[in-house]
Amino acid sequence: MTAKIKRKKSLWKRLHENKKFVAAEAVFLPILLGVIIFLLWQFEGLHKILRTDTFVLPLPGRIGTIIVDNWSKIVVDIKATMIVAVLGLIIGCLAGYLIAVLASMFKTLMKSGISIVAAFNAIPIIALAPVISNWTKDVSTDANVRSMVAKTIVVAIVSMANMSINAYRGLTELKPFSEDLMRISAAGKLKVLYKLRIPNSVPYIFIALKVAVPSCVISALVSEYFAEYIVGVGRKIRENIVLAQYSTAWAYIAVACVLGIVMYALLMLVQKVCLGRRGSRTS
Amino acid sequence: MKKRLAAIPKWVPAVLSALLWVGVLILLWEMGARKMDVTKRTPENVLPHLKNIWNALISTKKVAGGKTALGIVMSGAGMTLIRALYGFIAGSVLGFGLALMMKLSGVVERLIFPYLMLIQMIPILGLAPIVLSITGDINVSRIVIAGILTFYPVAANTLAGFNSVEREKYELMYTYAASKGTIYRKVLIPQAIPYFFTGLKIAAPMAITASILVDTLQGDGGLGCILSQSLKHAMSIYVFWIIVFFSAIIGILSSKLMGLLEILVLPNKRRRRARV
Amino acid sequence: MKKLLKRTIATAGVAALVATSMVGCGKAATSQGGSAAEGSTSTTMTSEEIIKQAAADGKVGNWGLGNEYEILALLTKYGLPTEYLSEDFTMDGFDDDSITLASAMTYNELGLVKNSYEGGYKYGDTVGVIDMNDEGVAMLEDMVFCTKDFAKKNPETVKAFLYASLKGWADACADPEKAAEICYEAGSSVSGDHQAYMAKEVKKLVETDMNGNKVSELGNMDEAAMTQTLELAKKYVKLDDSDAAAKLAGMTLDDIRDGSFLEAVKASDGKFNVEKKKVSIQLKWLPQAQFMGYYVAKANGYYDEVGLDVEIVSGGGDISETTAVNNGTVDFGVTWVTNLAVANAGGMDLLEVAQIYQRSGLLLVYKYDNFSK
Repeated sequence: MTAKIKRKKSLWKRLHENKKFVAAEAVFLPILLGVIIFLLWQFEGLHKILRTDTFVLPLPGRIGTIIVDNWSKIVVDIKATMIVAVLGLIIGCLAGYLIAVLASMFKTLMKSGISIVAAFNAIPIIALAPVISNWTKDVSTDANVRSMVAKTIVVAIVSMANMSINAYRGLTELKPFSEDLMRISAAGKLKVLYKLRIPNSVPYIFIALKVAVPSCVISALVSEYFAEYIVGVGRKIRENIVLAQYSTAWAYIAVACVLGIVMYALLMLVQKVCLGRRGSRTS
Repeated sequence: MKKRLAAIPKWVPAVLSALLWVGVLILLWEMGARKMDVTKRTPENVLPHLKNIWNALISTKKVAGGKTALGIVMSGAGMTLIRALYGFIAGSVLGFGLALMMKLSGVVERLIFPYLMLIQMIPILGLAPIVLSITGDINVSRIVIAGILTFYPVAANTLAGFNSVEREKYELMYTYAASKGTIYRKVLIPQAIPYFFTGLKIAAPMAITASILVDTLQGDGGLGCILSQSLKHAMSIYVFWIIVFFSAIIGILSSKLMGLLEILVLPNKRRRRARV
Repeated sequence: MKKLLKRTIATAGVAALVATSMVGCGKAATSQGGSAAEGSTSTTMTSEEIIKQAAADGKVGNWGLGNEYEILALLTKYGLPTEYLSEDFTMDGFDDDSITLASAMTYNELGLVKNSYEGGYKYGDTVGVIDMNDEGVAMLEDMVFCTKDFAKKNPETVKAFLYASLKGWADACADPEKAAEICYEAGSSVSGDHQAYMAKEVKKLVETDMNGNKVSELGNMDEAAMTQTLELAKKYVKLDDSDAAAKLAGMTLDDIRDGSFLEAVKASDGKFNVEKKKVSIQLKWLPQAQFMGYYVAKANGYYDEVGLDVEIVSGGGDISETTAVNNGTVDFGVTWVTNLAVANAGGMDLLEVAQIYQRSGLLLVYKYDNFSK
């Protein structure tokens, strides 16, 4: 609610008088756009706009049929992809946050650590994935397990940099003088961390997550290209694209999108719970 | 204690700690490489000694197409970085523009933000054939895809910057009866610029990795192509390792470059930093 | 001073943490070292036994992405589940025994496994092979195709391209060493030696058919071999898209190939009235002697002679040759017959115009040491 009051008043008034209307609009508008796009797509208007044909951009009906027909197979791929994406995201974000905390406490020593993490992120995933795959060859004799480990590490590395950079910002860019105030009250480093830095970093964590969540799914998909054990939505997308089975590829692309959306929706929910409470406290 | 430390210029400990980290990494790498020497039959595919990578870099031996390893990496890098630059510019303009539009109109935000998210969810490389069939040109497709892969951090960060403006500032502007344009010029955009740069700092290395990724779509030069050929043992595997290091260094530099740009554009930022 | 000490301790702690975790990984690496090289003196196993054992271990390898159908056919032939591990386009997995029965092309991976030039794994004669041609599951590989539409609108261009390309292939087969040099200059490869090996092996695939007989005409689309390929494809290609699957099941040779261009080329005097001068061909893989015919034709000016300006586009990326040809970014492509059939089932309209490789170049390679009683 507070966020809405913050908004500029004239704009607010001009557009909407009724709060309920706005709330409904937030759901209604994107859905309307979605329906329009869907209809354009199904009735081939989209193909005219993009100057393409139903072969390259298959109709939603056909895509849906393929998903339904192969659901039992798709579930296996979804599971494999999601385990990697979620596990990698969690490990990566925790590690990234830990690095940021250390960096905020021991600035001179650890700050370049963040650059090192960022350097890992600057290595393209298509180089990272095969290397990690090679490094994890001896983790397990089961190809499925070692591929899973390799893919998870790739996702973790990608998530880690993002989190550490953003969290570091949140942990260090405090309100002016707040740190001095803490100093005056003779608060130790840990106390500053608990009372000031960590609460201040929460919104930044969500900024990081908003990028990390979609990218964890995408990097899970790409890392599957290079995995030894053949499974996962990403592998299926690539296989079908290379084999020119565009309708099937689209079916898996649609599945991948839904996975991303579900994860993002969960993130939004968590954010609402976390920041909602926080917002009311500060105001 | 504090005074004594202050006598040392500020950059000295920063450089020292950077060196320390690099040192630790080198140590770890070499320890790993030592292990691989013993346990693997082809250690150069898993974890080669840094010395060997360096030797491959400066070697005058022709690796492929009559070029040395360094030559082939540099010529590929030229193609890739130019595409990355185009993609980055396109992506950041698009990202900033979208953020501004979303801030200007709540309707637009509600209408398109979910779809911006959706675009992030699409495994865009899978869509390469579609992008190709729409653009009709592989290089344009590459730039488009690199742009799509980079715009989101810019848009998300900038929008967060717009939304970070405190109510007090709005209220102050209202008391001055400032017009909408003035508020944007004097408050919103300046406030959002540091966030915009955060976005750029994330997006710059992403543009480069994205550009390398899209190189692999079709084989006609570019770091990604060379990387994948080297990985498929179509040329010395050391070319692959050189590219790994090269892309990491370039990625960091690109991010640092954005930081430098930020300091140039926003001198106050420096002062604020100094105060905190 | 205290502060400084604290910082040093903190860093040391972090460094130690990272170091221990890395060393941990390293230790895991050592534990599995040299278990492979035991008991080399023994009786050899039959192909069937080898395949069954490797399949039971889950250690059969292939690259997937449309290269796997012969392997699927072979596994099914012996009543085994059609599962395989993904090979990463190197033979590292074979080398470290995570794949014991690995797919290899006669002209590429097998050379790397056996030979000791740069990039080679130096196994020499300690490895055995299972040949798809011997097992009766061979499918035809490298061939030239374009879209039906392109062939209809530019028949003279297609003929001219084939005429010059086949001339290039004839030259390449007559002097593979020269061809290898041309490819090494034009393309990328670990070593010139490997290209020379490759050219020699490719020559065999171009000049001998599935039964080991000499081929009379280069580029010939042998009816029996084509039929075998298509029938195997119908049987072993599993498509998730029911429409595409139905289309594949009902496919005939006439849907995927047209021999008329080749006939015209044989009767031709080498003069063509080309409709499109600038054409391009996308290869199925990286530029190497696998495609020596086109490189030789270009280097020897055969394309110029027929009035064509040909660009050779490297393959191996995510824009596959079928996609590139279908959307018109290139005019011709080199692919495998099955890939074309599958692409047409998916909705493309592609047409094979000449069959360059007359037998399968796919093998399964294994170390004798791993398969002994």
